[in-house]
Amino acid sequence: MAKPPEPIEEVMPNAAWVVEAEVKEVLSTGPTPPPPPNAKPGATSVGWKAASQTVKLTITNVLKGEKAAELIVEKPVGSYSLKPGNKGPFLIDASKTILGRYGPDSWNLDRVKGAMK
Amino acid sequence: MPIRFNDTKLGSLYTNFEAQKRTNPNLKLGQDQVLQLVALVGDGNRGWSSTKVANELKKPGMTRDQQIALVKGGMTANEKKDLAAILDQGSVPLEPSARQFLEAVLDRSAPQPPPPPPPGTDGLKISGDQKNGLSGTTKAGATIEAINISTAPGGRLRMDDTAIIGKADANGQFNMAKLTGDQAMREGDLIRMRARYADGSTSDWLTVKATGLANKDTNNATVALFRIGLTDAGGGKVSVSNINASRQVSEPGAQLEFTNKRTGEKARVTITESGGFPDTFKLNGKPGDSFSVAASDGTNNTSFTETVGNVTVPGGAPANTDLIPDPALHADELDSAGKPRFSKVNFTGPLFVDGAKPEDVQQGQIGNCYFPAAIAAIAKQNPDVINKMVKDNGDGTYTVTFKQKDWSSGRFKDVPVKVDGDLWARSYGGPLYGRSSNSSDPKKMELWYPLVEKAYAQWKGSYNEIGNGGHASDVFEAVVGKDGQDMYISSGNLDRVFETIKRSIDNKQPVAAGTYHDERYANTGVYGDHAYSILGYEQTGTEKYVIIRNPWGESEPSGNGANDGIFKLKLQEFGKLYQNLMYTN
Repeated sequence: MAKPPEPIEEVMPNAAWVVEAEVKEVLSTGPTPPPPPNAKPGATSVGWKAASQTVKLTITNVLKGEKAAELIVEKPVGSYSLKPGNKGPFLIDASKTILGRYGPDSWNLDRVKGAMK
Repeated sequence: MPIRFNDTKLGSLYTNFEAQKRTNPNLKLGQDQVLQLVALVGDGNRGWSSTKVANELKKPGMTRDQQIALVKGGMTANEKKDLAAILDQGSVPLEPSARQFLEAVLDRSAPQPPPPPPPGTDGLKISGDQKNGLSGTTKAGATIEAINISTAPGGRLRMDDTAIIGKADANGQFNMAKLTGDQAMREGDLIRMRARYADGSTSDWLTVKATGLANKDTNNATVALFRIGLTDAGGGKVSVSNINASRQVSEPGAQLEFTNKRTGEKARVTITESGGFPDTFKLNGKPGDSFSVAASDGTNNTSFTETVGNVTVPGGAPANTDLIPDPALHADELDSAGKPRFSKVNFTGPLFVDGAKPEDVQQGQIGNCYFPAAIAAIAKQNPDVINKMVKDNGDGTYTVTFKQKDWSSGRFKDVPVKVDGDLWARSYGGPLYGRSSNSSDPKKMELWYPLVEKAYAQWKGSYNEIGNGGHASDVFEAVVGKDGQDMYISSGNLDRVFETIKRSIDNKQPVAAGTYHDERYANTGVYGDHAYSILGYEQTGTEKYVIIRNPWGESEPSGNGANDGIFKLKLQEFGKLYQNLMYTN
């Protein structure tokens, strides 16, 4: 649902990697979550969720974490989905799950860099 | 042979140290432990509690001579014998400085300050004052790294996020090395520094208190209130921790005084070398208690009269008197036992600053985007409606008047909802749900939007009732008192959509739009399942644009100036990304 992204200060401590990256390939997609119950037509913030995905990222810049050219990561069930070509700053935890309610669209790069200082 | 103590409390504490030594054979009693011991012997003659003596001994600005005099003034003859026994027969070794302190208390030697660490033995030596910067010696060619740990708590720096401020010459000398910007040295600031040698290894850390920069140290210790985490420890105790242990709460050695606003009880703690709290530090209190926090660096605010803010223990009822029962939290903010994970804070800022404006509206962590999107749209087109719907009653309460349609008559009737300034808040005071500018300061935040949202939750039953999606057109009805309308957007009706937007804006009527519930939005700068305010339109020749605002107050497609959530889309692009338009008749 269209809540704002979480405060980055609460998310950053859980990030094992902070990278600038592009989605190279969607390797698999999980089951489609059920639609939100009792969602009225035209309503917003009803809690729509996209399926989980396993995606391969091409890393263009590592801001935090071990250097890597590619990472295979999990996009959890949530308010967005990824497709090849999507890019931006990714915060990734130690289990290689993408953090942030909207993945690479959660916070812009300046905000991410600011939170790392 | 065990010591036979005359003072049972002293005996008990020392026995505890002996037990610790059995599990830690390397244990030596340092100054902290010795101060605990002498606090128990400084109480007798005065009728003071040992806690009071301990607090006095740790009072900022207390010199070693004053500490010794304080202990001697309250010590009985039997207690003196006990301390002598610890010195002469104790099985737990004493560090040299601690032994000298006890000897001074017993008049066995003249008070001697603890020997300063020999300068330069760790590879870095500072000379003179800091009037012209940091000067000293280290290995030839070493770079000098430093961080101002007095200013660092106010930012995001860790204690080892140093800046290179100079380099030692061939003789190992460095001169006039300075920190700049937010870290620029001020009188009394603590500068943590080290030398980095050519082989990459470093000297030990050295902390310097800056002098020579001003006649007087007027900069008190900075406190990062937002890093102070309070949790109910049970049994009437509250644990205090640094919720981001990699960064500082305040400067090492500073004292923080917590005052429980319910009981008035005060407790002080000294910030550790890592900028946090001792593991054992606890407050007396319970869920819902609010504590004011005051700080002293030992020079400024030594009476702790100036506070830096409040922190609250999550859960429970708020410590202040609740003027009006408040709407319950959204279910997402309850713990597994159904108890709130957040507490309430009383906000007392101005109701309006220059009237209602769209930018006053910022959605919080709740799924009610339709509500702030609608309210910001009204604030743009007809702010007087909002200026008139919220009234300050002058007694800490506010009345927000909504409109409700009477279906029998077809007319809208007034629904007044009375609320107070209590808002669910994070531990550092910022509202959890809807907020406005200056949201981290309960005394400054402009109140009208959070109160309108709270009143809406009150009217509908709780934040849970309004926080699982809805229609902006319903909010238009409830505020403006006119029937709301929905229009679905498609490539075939874009001209009609634009004309509807144009007509509404020209007639000062609010408009909002909702996005689809699907996967088209990654990297567009627009978010799915979300409501947006329509703030205006533009027409340049044949090109038509819609001016839009994200109710988060940020996050927008690139190329739209400041990240304030306001952006412009071509009508064709708007038609691809937005599903429905909401407006009033």
